[in-house]
Amino acid sequence: MLKLAFYGKGGVGKSTTVSNLASAFAANGLKVMQIGCDPKADSTASLHGGARIRSILDLVRERNNDFTLEEMVRIGDGGVVCVEAGGPTPGLGCAGRGIIAALEKLQEKGAYDMYKPDVVMYDVLGDVVCGGFSMPMRKGCADRVFILTSGETMSIYAAANIAMAVKNFRGRGYASLGGFILNRRNVTDEDAKAAKLAADFDSEVTGALDWSETVQRAEQLGKTVVHAFPESPMAAQYRALADAVLAAVREGDASC
Amino acid sequence: MLKRLNGEDDMTGAEVAVRDAGFPAPFVSGLEYNAPARGPWNIVHTGMLIPESHQVFACAQGCLRGVILTAAEMLAMDRMSWISVDKNDLFDGSLERNIVDGTAEIIRKLPKKPRALLLFISCVHLFAGCDFEVIMSELRTMFPDIDFIDCYMNPTMRKSGLTPDQLMRRQLYAPFEPCPADRNAVNIIGNDRPTDESSELVRLVRAAGRELRDITQCRTYEDYRRMAKSALEITYLPTAKASGDALENRLGRKHLYLPLSYDFDEIERNLAQLAGALGIAAPDWTEAKQDAIRSLEQAKAVIGDTPVEIDYTATPRPVGLAALLAEHGFRVTRLYADVMIEEERPAFERLRALAPDLLLTATVHAKMRFAGKGVHERGDVIAIGQKAAYFSGTKHFVNIVSGGGMYGFDGVLRLARHMTEAATHEQDTETVIQRKGLGCRSCL
Repeated sequence: MLKLAFYGKGGVGKSTTVSNLASAFAANGLKVMQIGCDPKADSTASLHGGARIRSILDLVRERNNDFTLEEMVRIGDGGVVCVEAGGPTPGLGCAGRGIIAALEKLQEKGAYDMYKPDVVMYDVLGDVVCGGFSMPMRKGCADRVFILTSGETMSIYAAANIAMAVKNFRGRGYASLGGFILNRRNVTDEDAKAAKLAADFDSEVTGALDWSETVQRAEQLGKTVVHAFPESPMAAQYRALADAVLAAVREGDASC
Repeated sequence: MLKRLNGEDDMTGAEVAVRDAGFPAPFVSGLEYNAPARGPWNIVHTGMLIPESHQVFACAQGCLRGVILTAAEMLAMDRMSWISVDKNDLFDGSLERNIVDGTAEIIRKLPKKPRALLLFISCVHLFAGCDFEVIMSELRTMFPDIDFIDCYMNPTMRKSGLTPDQLMRRQLYAPFEPCPADRNAVNIIGNDRPTDESSELVRLVRAAGRELRDITQCRTYEDYRRMAKSALEITYLPTAKASGDALENRLGRKHLYLPLSYDFDEIERNLAQLAGALGIAAPDWTEAKQDAIRSLEQAKAVIGDTPVEIDYTATPRPVGLAALLAEHGFRVTRLYADVMIEEERPAFERLRALAPDLLLTATVHAKMRFAGKGVHERGDVIAIGQKAAYFSGTKHFVNIVSGGGMYGFDGVLRLARHMTEAATHEQDTETVIQRKGLGCRSCL
């Protein structure tokens, strides 16, 4: 089982990218589980027609522990097993604690044993601001962390922070850095900035995605690009990124 | 302070006739009261069962009060240390570091290195997402000759997952690692007092020529470690079932859950299951059953129509016990239980038919604050359990917790004898029930 966590500044395109990667992996015959680790609980929306699904924290709040594994997941396009951790009411409660509780509940209910996914992807909100946000990279969760960034300064800054956290946690046996993914925003010297960031952490830019209207069109349909417009150049980019991610993981494994 | 406003005897919401009661939770959860009946064990008592062990609590100072008082009362302060948590630990990210450094310092300062160290973290560590595995791993590297056991004092999370009591009983056996099984040995797991030698359970194990191991009878750490080799795990308390399941999964041992019961058919089924697992023929229990019935009849002859009240701390199956006693003519008038376990559903239905007017009374409902010393006091009662004794105000009570080590037909026989003794002898209830952890040493 391949377990990957995706981090990056809010709004950089994590959920869109992760969902398209899920579709690309699924199209290659892999069994995929995507776990949204965001109180908004909208990570997997484009895998099931844009509809919201009930989050684990919603279930915990309503029914404590009296719910089944099947109620925690929804099978999306391409058979992707979709899970949303959810979180507290905005402005109240602790989002980090919400992620911890949700991931513990998945483990407790035997999600990984039941669905036996080939690839598990954690789509994690924002920066590693507290213990809860480091949960997906802990032992037992992800093996590799991929960080999404654009060429915008704040995005690069957040990506560097996350990479630093991954580096600091390495001694604990946490996930290692798989690489950076550049989601282009047509900023000047964008590729060079991403390459420099990767080099600063002895890593690489695993893949890059162009800005494309196709992404917005697919989102309006409540679908991933790979699913809605499989013949589009953008879908080809996502498929290429999926291959590159797998290659980066293999390369990382070989060098361990 | 909570005050009764009108002085009237209104127990609405804290008491309901069993015929009208919902199952398994007949009362609404809210503001809670804790009666001063302190016999049931807490996590400190249970942890102390591991010989040659030391406990370290990492928590806010306010939370330490209860655990320190427990250790002090049981004259075991030399087996407990603590690391207090400050709000600044949250700001500077030192929560985990402080636990590692604090525990290491404690170990270095102890006059003798413990064989096992039970490290308790608290709610704040779990809220903050501390990585307990990393903490434990670092400590194990620093002190490879000590078994570190992760333990939890997290009352704010007690209504999800395993209860603190279940978790503590499970963690008691955490150091046991896979090893070749000793077919000649059998464990009783998760109990806090030895099971009576006269019980059919113990007699069957002895008859099969097996050695019976139980943490309550371990005197040295080696005794305790030997339990890891036993080929069969027996649990009979519902709070111990998770311990048996964990050992079955981790060590690959057979786990038999043979729940403590007052239903003769269930007792017989349990004993047959045990005999099968031990590879011996199940004896004929007719005589044992008749002895139990005779003992109940003798108790009834002494107790007559004196009301009997039972509480959930005396036995994990208070509903089943009430049904048994009602079936044998006892006037069971009240059962104290805030919730019931699913296993009790058949007994609950039986009890509804047998004694529909029996009152089911909460113990933690805020109104119970006045039940012990006020208008609810009824001296002419035989109580089974400390809370029933407290709330009824009786001096006639059976002083047991968690089944009292009684099991099977023999358990019924002994319980009936205890009831007879309770009817004929007075106890100083207030003095007896204020001691923490029945069976532990107490300086009071």
